[in-house]
Amino acid sequence: MKRIADFLLPPESRRTVGAVCVALLAGLLLIAGVSDEPLRAWLILLTGALPELRQASDGGWHWHRLVRFGTVLEDTINLTLLGLAVAIPFRARQFALGADGQLFLGALAASVAALCWPGPAWLALPMACGAAMLAGGAWGGVTGVLKWRCGANEMVVSLMLNLVAIEFYRLAITRWLRDPGAGFPATPFFPPEAALTPLIAHTGVSWMLLAAPLMVAAVALLLGRTTLGYEIRVIGAAPAFALQAGLPVGRATVLSMALGGMLAGLAGFHIGHAVLKRLPVDLAPGLGFEGLLVALLARHQPRAILGAAFFYAWLRAGGQAMERGTDVSREIALVLQALVIVLVMAERWPWRPGRGEAS
Amino acid sequence: MSGPAARLELRGIGKRYANGVLANDAIDLRIARGEIHALIGENGAGKSTLVKMLYGLEQPTAGTLLLDGRAARLDTPADAIAAGIGLVPQHVQLVPSFSVARNVVLGAEPSRWGWLRQGAAVRAVEALERRFGLAADPMALASTLSLGGQQRVEILKALYRGADLLLLDEPGAVLSPHEAASLYGALRALADAGMSVLLITHKIADVLEVADRYTVLRAGRLVGGGRSREASAAGLAAQIVGRPLPPAARPEPAARGAVLLRARGLVHASGSAECLDGVDLDVAAGEILGIAGVEGNGQGLLARTLAVLHGAALVPEDRLHDGVAPTLSIAENAIASTYRRAPLSRHGWLRRAAIDAAARAMIADYRVAAAGPGQPIGALSGGNMQKIVLARALATQPRVLVACQPTRGVDIGAARFLRERLLALRDGGAAIVLVSADLDEILELSDRIVVMFRGRIVGHFRGHEQDAPSLGAYMTGAQRQKDAAACIDSPFAPFAPNSPEAA
Repeated sequence: MKRIADFLLPPESRRTVGAVCVALLAGLLLIAGVSDEPLRAWLILLTGALPELRQASDGGWHWHRLVRFGTVLEDTINLTLLGLAVAIPFRARQFALGADGQLFLGALAASVAALCWPGPAWLALPMACGAAMLAGGAWGGVTGVLKWRCGANEMVVSLMLNLVAIEFYRLAITRWLRDPGAGFPATPFFPPEAALTPLIAHTGVSWMLLAAPLMVAAVALLLGRTTLGYEIRVIGAAPAFALQAGLPVGRATVLSMALGGMLAGLAGFHIGHAVLKRLPVDLAPGLGFEGLLVALLARHQPRAILGAAFFYAWLRAGGQAMERGTDVSREIALVLQALVIVLVMAERWPWRPGRGEAS
Repeated sequence: MSGPAARLELRGIGKRYANGVLANDAIDLRIARGEIHALIGENGAGKSTLVKMLYGLEQPTAGTLLLDGRAARLDTPADAIAAGIGLVPQHVQLVPSFSVARNVVLGAEPSRWGWLRQGAAVRAVEALERRFGLAADPMALASTLSLGGQQRVEILKALYRGADLLLLDEPGAVLSPHEAASLYGALRALADAGMSVLLITHKIADVLEVADRYTVLRAGRLVGGGRSREASAAGLAAQIVGRPLPPAARPEPAARGAVLLRARGLVHASGSAECLDGVDLDVAAGEILGIAGVEGNGQGLLARTLAVLHGAALVPEDRLHDGVAPTLSIAENAIASTYRRAPLSRHGWLRRAAIDAAARAMIADYRVAAAGPGQPIGALSGGNMQKIVLARALATQPRVLVACQPTRGVDIGAARFLRERLLALRDGGAAIVLVSADLDEILELSDRIVVMFRGRIVGHFRGHEQDAPSLGAYMTGAQRQKDAAACIDSPFAPFAPNSPEAA
């Protein structure tokens, strides 16, 4: 039990949980400033995302708000994969911000696989999934190679490549993959055998729910137990030392970005094949940056990312519920998210100065 | 105590950290005006804690601190500065792109309506320099100064803030002998002008040659002190280490084997001031080639070149920069050059048990004072960190090793241990290039010695018989051997200085 608790809430992240609580209390104060019924709004913000067990008139018990909770789970999966996608290069001290572009290309590659080569589910799904990871990984690798071979700043390159990828996605959907029968530019729905069946009715929650923790475990293993992960961590901790010790710095840097890209591509597969079942042209960019926030919240520790992603998704759904049910707009939830991140990123509590310097 | 009140007096000062560690216990210390007082002890003896308390960074948990005979409390560095205490840190902290004058006045700038008065700053700095005989061009950029020059600026900084009690934390550790001598000359001039100086050091020579009085700490306790004139090197070493230290065995030259490292005409012209200008050298199995020289004359570049081009194992010069990854564990640092081999990893998977065992063996073999292989290496003292760096370099069983400043900032006991390891490696048939700013170390270990000056070899000497002053003339460029090289059959420069051949 303690081991499980330590895995889900490692001792080093307890301060993070403290920061979250402080931010939530600050949220109550904020809401009190704008609302007539602050406590109710705050409670809805905290519990609105959760499903509710209610007794129906016939005496039986039924789950309510399952669809809303489904979106929380969908978001959790997306944000977990994207958080990992940002965290891996970061551990090699690469500030690559290309998750957005990798996600779009991953989704596009998966939809091409689903629409152009229909087949039985056992073949179509792995193929789409592989195509997504390959496309995302390649796009991430491009940033890595440019950094390694040309010394191009990975932040600038990845941001620019995002624009390229997103515009290419829009071009491909409107020009080549568009469903002529749809009223707006989007691909046709994927054939049923190429889409993931929902586990909860009317939601996009699929077996990918298992993929998220699996990927967390895989990345934790990669970083902690493999020679490549060791190289990534040493490069991130002390680049000059890694060079001096003869580690393959260039190769590990490129691979860290390619691996991150694969995970972002997988998130693209999840969005297309599990959540939307088709790709609209106006798929909103920016999810990659939420992945960045999740990675920050988890302090780039893979095993903390699942919790951080769930928290983020939960707060977002709660914010929407609050907006619908009370006089408080959901921007308050955004302010709260920002507060949490500021508090987590702060190295020490302001009322205990100097603690970080004690040696 | 009779006589005038001391500038600084500690009575029974103790410091127990919140985690229970007793870093200082009942320390008595007295520094008069115009006195240079050396505080000596091994790494971890409690010197740094004491300095932190004197500079208001830590508060004592017992005892009294008196300034000019009056009890004082130093809660913050600002209190210490107001009380006339100045700290010259071990690692200089100047703004490289600022001039000397702006660095000196930084944080206490002469200004009018928010505008820095550059002229007033320069004049103030020049006045200080004249008064205390510390030469430095006020308009020079800090980045162009040598380490010794930067240290002088740090001293000026403290003096500018009105300090008359200077705390110097290991000032000699990063200086060449020449620079150190000039720094100590400046300190003496300050003392003659009535300043008090507390010199934190782990070099016995500093006590004997620079200080008036000294205090020895060991494991947080006061174990000795007195007048430097009455101290002896052997007695001090015994007090510092806690047991009599047998004199270092004069290493016997080993049997020399085949040449393992051969370099001809090494040239390296980089953007920086350091260059290589036609270096020829051989190192044979079973010998140590010592490379002496004032820092920045190409030794560091030579070491890196030999490591990169000739595949020699390297003990890098700056261990915190490229010798270790401070935030990673001892084990993770220990395996950096061997992690790809069995049994540490198989098919790309690290094998934790094997790594743990290897790190434990290294900790035991090298007598590293550490909590365990999982401890972050940055938490170790310099000497223990350096043991891991050397152990890692030797773990690959190198035939050729380039060791740069292997014992810099390392206490006596650990330094001797590290030197013994180098000699053992040599006796095992390896070829070793030793780059060190510590002339005594070069003289003690080397079978052959070369002196580098401005990227060239200017003298080639037989080891085991040189003395420091005769090398000094070559290090400053005052003397050079014609067509000097470090090949196996290169002629040696004559022992006595000023001989006709050396002109």
